[in-house]
Amino acid sequence: MTTEEIISTLSKQIAEKILKQPGRAIGAEEPLISSGLIDSFSLMDLALFVEDTFGARIEDTELNANTFDSLTQLASLIQSRRA
Amino acid sequence: MTFLHLGVFALAAIGIGRLKVGRELALLAFSVFVLFWLQPAQPFVSLRFWIPFATLAIIALVWALTAPPEARAMKKNWPTALVIFGVILLIDLNQFFRLDAIYMTATPRLWMLALAWLVFFSVGLALWRVRQTSTLAALVALGILFIFIYLKTPALVVKSFIWMDSLRGVAPATRPLFSWLGFSYIAFRLLHTIRDFQARRLPALTLSEYVNYAIFFPAFVAGPIDRAERFVVELRTPVALAEQDWAEAARRFIIGLFKKFVVADSLAVISINTIFVEQVHSPAWLWLFLYLYALRIYFDFSAYSDIAIGLARVMGIRLPENFAAPYFKPNLTQFWNAWHITLTQWFRAYFFNPLTRALRTKQISIPAIIFVTQLGTMMLIGLWHGVALNFLCWGIWHGLGLFVQNRWSEWARTKIQTPLTPRRKLLADALGMFLTFNFVSLGWLFFTLPTPALALNAMSKLFGFN
Repeated sequence: MTTEEIISTLSKQIAEKILKQPGRAIGAEEPLISSGLIDSFSLMDLALFVEDTFGARIEDTELNANTFDSLTQLASLIQSRRA
Repeated sequence: MTFLHLGVFALAAIGIGRLKVGRELALLAFSVFVLFWLQPAQPFVSLRFWIPFATLAIIALVWALTAPPEARAMKKNWPTALVIFGVILLIDLNQFFRLDAIYMTATPRLWMLALAWLVFFSVGLALWRVRQTSTLAALVALGILFIFIYLKTPALVVKSFIWMDSLRGVAPATRPLFSWLGFSYIAFRLLHTIRDFQARRLPALTLSEYVNYAIFFPAFVAGPIDRAERFVVELRTPVALAEQDWAEAARRFIIGLFKKFVVADSLAVISINTIFVEQVHSPAWLWLFLYLYALRIYFDFSAYSDIAIGLARVMGIRLPENFAAPYFKPNLTQFWNAWHITLTQWFRAYFFNPLTRALRTKQISIPAIIFVTQLGTMMLIGLWHGVALNFLCWGIWHGLGLFVQNRWSEWARTKIQTPLTPRRKLLADALGMFLTFNFVSLGWLFFTLPTPALALNAMSKLFGFN
């Protein structure tokens, strides 16, 4: 799976399941955590989705804006864990 | 901390930052000295010496139980042990130097220090041979938590000293309250390393790196609570200082001094307190005093972070930010992403996230999980400030606020499918900011007033119910 495909899958998941706004497009560089778009509870849901879908574990201590704050950063983290 | 302390800190930071050789050990030596220097008056004079001694002993113990064999090699650590031993010995020798402007002269006799070292090394040697296990680490973590809870419960502290007086057969004396300076922050740094050791995530740290992390002098009294793996990278390879970095470090330090000694200390005399609540009947004045308290606590607390960040930067270490304009946030979730950030992240990493992860795999409704995890986290954050009913109420206030805001956001998101126009977004954010600031300000009543009853009385007065 390419980085673009991962970003697209994540974007769809966040828009549909977390924000409940299926029509919303989330930019690859849009801040997710620091902007408050995703709260701490939804962040855990996203981490569980990443584990189930991509087989890449994100530790509890990594669920913060310092580790990733955009779809590009998250996709890159997933790629590095899958490598 | 006084101006004198901070002035010496600044000079030390500049000196240590410029060192090309021995920088880490110099930082260690100064941090150990500061640990002793800043200790306040204690119920027993000698505790002013033994408390920092015990702090170092606990840190060394946790290091020994969590460091991998390659980091525990004697050749890597003997200079560190020598530096710590040397600084403590010099401090103890103040009974002969008699520099009472720097530290008390009533330090323990040399034979007592020798005995303490003997006990420490005997315990250390015994532990050295013990296999490092997750269970042993958990027991040590429990011990640290036990001390933490004891220190945060003033009634327990007072009772324990009355009990000690009765054992000695003397009448209870009026003494300064026992306090363990910086333990709240040191304990949370140690607990983080213990937990990461159990999860096999802790990097290999030498004794010098570990002690420097735990008692890094700019941050040991009031944070931020950095993470060991992040801190040690810049301790080993300091970030080079360009001209603008010096300017930025100086700016943060000076802003911190101004916020603390000019703004916060001035606001302290006109902020809401028990006397104002009892004697002022005008809701307008009470709102003003409440808002001033909200500003005071922000300026006071964030000032220490500014000072710490500025001092650390001079030494090539970038501490994490602890405040990010919290009163300008449009909702409570974002407020908590911007207030005492490193403490909140600690609780998220080691309580909220593991609990949420565990509950998400069970058949429990999402609102119930959010309620339990948010309320539990905020109650613990409240109790971190002190084991007292008012701090617990403050935590519950915020926990309930976060839950209500979460449910509202969930509902609003399903109703509003198209993004707001810029004008409407601005209006919504302004309204959110106003509501959030007022909610947080009202919560400060529980935080600053000694009893929840007084806080509720103040709230009723604020809304005109006298």
